[in-house]
Amino acid sequence: MSLKLEDPLVLLLAGGVGSRLNNLVQSRAKPAVPFGGIYRIIDFSLSNVMNAGFPQVGVLTQYKPLSLMRHIGDGTAWDFAGRTRGAKILPPRTGSQDSDWYKGTADAVRQNIDFIRAHPAPEVVILSGDHIYSMDLDDLVSSHRRKEADLTVATMVVPREQIHQFGAAITDEEGRIVEWEEKPAVPRTDLASMGIYVLSTDYLLNYLEKYRDDLDFGMDLIPRAIATDRVFAYPFRGYWRDVGTIQAYWEANMDLLAADSPLNPAAWGTRPNPETEGLPYDRCPARFMGDSLVRQSLIPAGCIIEGTVLNSVLSPGVRVGPGAVVRDSILFHDCRVAAGATVDLAILDKRVQVGEKAVVGQGEDKTVVNRDNPKHLYSGISLLGKQAQIPAGAVIGRNCVVSPGSRVEDFPGATLSSGESVQPAG
Amino acid sequence: MPKAKPDVMAVVLAGGRVDELSVLTAHRPKSAVPFGGFARVIDFALSNLMQSGLELVAVLSQYRSFSLINHIGIGASWDMIGRHRGVFVLPPYQGFGQSSWYRGTADAVRQNLDFIQFHAPETILVLSGDHVYHMDYREIIAYHRQKEADCTFACVEVPEALAHRFGVAEIDDEDGRLGGRVLQYQEKPAEPCSRWASMTVYCFKPRVLYELLAANAREDESFEFGRDILPRAMASHRKVYGYKFRGYWGYTRTIEEYWQTSMDLLGEQPRLPLEQWGTRTNLDQRDIRDCPPLKVGEEAVVHNSLVYNGCQVEGRVENSVLFPGVQVKPGAVVRDSVLFFDNVVGRDCRLEKVVSDVNVTVGDGVVIGVSAPPTADGEAAGAGHEGSAENWAGGASGDSGGTVTVLGWNNQIPAGMVIGAGCTLYPALGPEKMTRQRVADGEVLR
Repeated sequence: MSLKLEDPLVLLLAGGVGSRLNNLVQSRAKPAVPFGGIYRIIDFSLSNVMNAGFPQVGVLTQYKPLSLMRHIGDGTAWDFAGRTRGAKILPPRTGSQDSDWYKGTADAVRQNIDFIRAHPAPEVVILSGDHIYSMDLDDLVSSHRRKEADLTVATMVVPREQIHQFGAAITDEEGRIVEWEEKPAVPRTDLASMGIYVLSTDYLLNYLEKYRDDLDFGMDLIPRAIATDRVFAYPFRGYWRDVGTIQAYWEANMDLLAADSPLNPAAWGTRPNPETEGLPYDRCPARFMGDSLVRQSLIPAGCIIEGTVLNSVLSPGVRVGPGAVVRDSILFHDCRVAAGATVDLAILDKRVQVGEKAVVGQGEDKTVVNRDNPKHLYSGISLLGKQAQIPAGAVIGRNCVVSPGSRVEDFPGATLSSGESVQPAG
Repeated sequence: MPKAKPDVMAVVLAGGRVDELSVLTAHRPKSAVPFGGFARVIDFALSNLMQSGLELVAVLSQYRSFSLINHIGIGASWDMIGRHRGVFVLPPYQGFGQSSWYRGTADAVRQNLDFIQFHAPETILVLSGDHVYHMDYREIIAYHRQKEADCTFACVEVPEALAHRFGVAEIDDEDGRLGGRVLQYQEKPAEPCSRWASMTVYCFKPRVLYELLAANAREDESFEFGRDILPRAMASHRKVYGYKFRGYWGYTRTIEEYWQTSMDLLGEQPRLPLEQWGTRTNLDQRDIRDCPPLKVGEEAVVHNSLVYNGCQVEGRVENSVLFPGVQVKPGAVVRDSVLFFDNVVGRDCRLEKVVSDVNVTVGDGVVIGVSAPPTADGEAAGAGHEGSAENWAGGASGDSGGTVTVLGWNNQIPAGMVIGAGCTLYPALGPEKMTRQRVADGEVLR
């Protein structure tokens, strides 16, 4: 039988900083940011690879890779286990010549040519670990083969006013890309690149060696390639979000709550890795006690709910005390909302503690943008960093940022007006 | 220093069916019965072993062993993998000479003595995989060794009126609260000498166990630890000690007891504090590790309940335990019930005091268990075994014989059907058996 040479090799670019996610990425890479209660962002891409049946994936890491590495482990959570299957972490490394950080997507792939050569495959599929979506990658590769393409770019239709955030493709009637603009100021098309590429392996290797100064696929490779080579667009239709901003991240989480949401990880076959937590026990079923009132929310195992939770996404181990109210919010693992406290329109990173009768998200006026991060927090969402402790009775306004590790004594007067931020002392 | 090999071998008795659990054990042994919204009964013994640092474990399995073998897998869920760690499922086998099914718990152990002797343990810990409790076995082992006992078994105090259902031990005051020498042991006596019931957790000196098993095989007609081996140990004047256990012990021999033990998980101060026990299960089983968080709908109400990932609740759930994948549709009410994996409760249904096995679909408007007379059972949740005897009201018949209705797996209940209290539905009945509009209280549909 075959030696499985028909399967493509996958490279998953997971090194991005994602700095617009503010302090959610202070201690982890963007692909490792928790999403939807039990997932991390990269689970969506890894599950797409798994569901396509592709056996080998290299995960290129760079920024704060530890939580990502722990999460991926040896890949068994996504069935990348066995003699010819595997998920390999590929960090930047020093070598005889190339000894530098990844300087762009093409550069990152070039620095891992040895990995590509060690896993002979007809094509290399390049994915980003930053997106929430479900794509039939097998169909993508079939399209690449059918068109006898050198390079296939997955694309989707976006509103024209958003095209300036993307690589934009202009295609002929066969789907061949005839013009390309990287982040155009003036939209001429609504077809956006999703940062997902299929390249024939020989073509890729040849290109990377020939144009050694090219660093980025979108900026360098595609414009060069469309002039001479067979470059096709693969049309994707379906739910796809780049959750690279606090606002987009919050909205995508809220998309999970709708009754017939197009964002449906269970139907997509998205797999989390609960063992990342490394707990010595398994989370018990969610417990509802006392006068709990829960509406339109996601409540995973390990939560204990005694208060009210409305329109929110909780991660495992969250406790909501009696009389407490959580509304329109996202709470990561093991947060504690003490009795009588309120959390309204906020994102709480892991192990945040909100003291008794404290209010997070106070005030009707949501328009006072965050003073330090006006482009991150402007719609009313407040962001509480990992392990922050909010004192009992404290009042936190809208669009506030509380840095990770902030402690009770970092809140003089126990109030934080809308738009303000707090840093831990010292 | 090289790491020492384990000096304790644990042998888990997990082969039994337990008739009184009725349809719940139609397709699985008692030890593989789901419990606690995510786990299986045997997870409690396995987690106890793991937490006690006892990681060399034999599991004796006979009845419908697939579900158990599948659940235990390679043992990694309890960290029991490694060169000197492991869970070994030992089914009956054909030998060079005489071959037979396991004729009882003692016979099962005797037939696997070569496995035990190969590991040359200093102490053999034999325990049942059928009970829900949290125990540090290091304490009973330490006591056993301190007393240089031949056999030490764990006992728990049960209500006087129920002691006749157990093996009971009269224990002297040698070590006060900790335990003492066993003066008298009676298996299921009409007139019990004591309220200290054996929990089926035994420590043995290997040599003594081998002798008792050999004599049992030679001379007896029955081959059970409780009925035969302990009486033999007493009769041959071995040094037998009782270790007094003071924690919660969930004895789930009947449907009513299974239901009551499940209700003990609930309340403001649950008698069975699941979160404190740190129980592990096999998350790969039925892919529960992949289940999305519980989704609570816009009109839903969830009160005093345990609900695992993968569930969708749009109706009302009270005093209930929901395993992964259960759906409760709008307008439905589920009360005082335990619903196993992937049950679907249709619109406007009413379920009360129902234990429903996996893959049961309940059509719209179905009413189950509601015709039960109004009793204090709802309040009884949180009261318990050590309280009054009515909490142990389970009948001894093969069917539920009480007020709990039990639904066997893979049933489709047609819309509008009314099923009374204390009914039993056999597994996978098929549409031709489901043509009736009404099933009266206590009826058995098979």
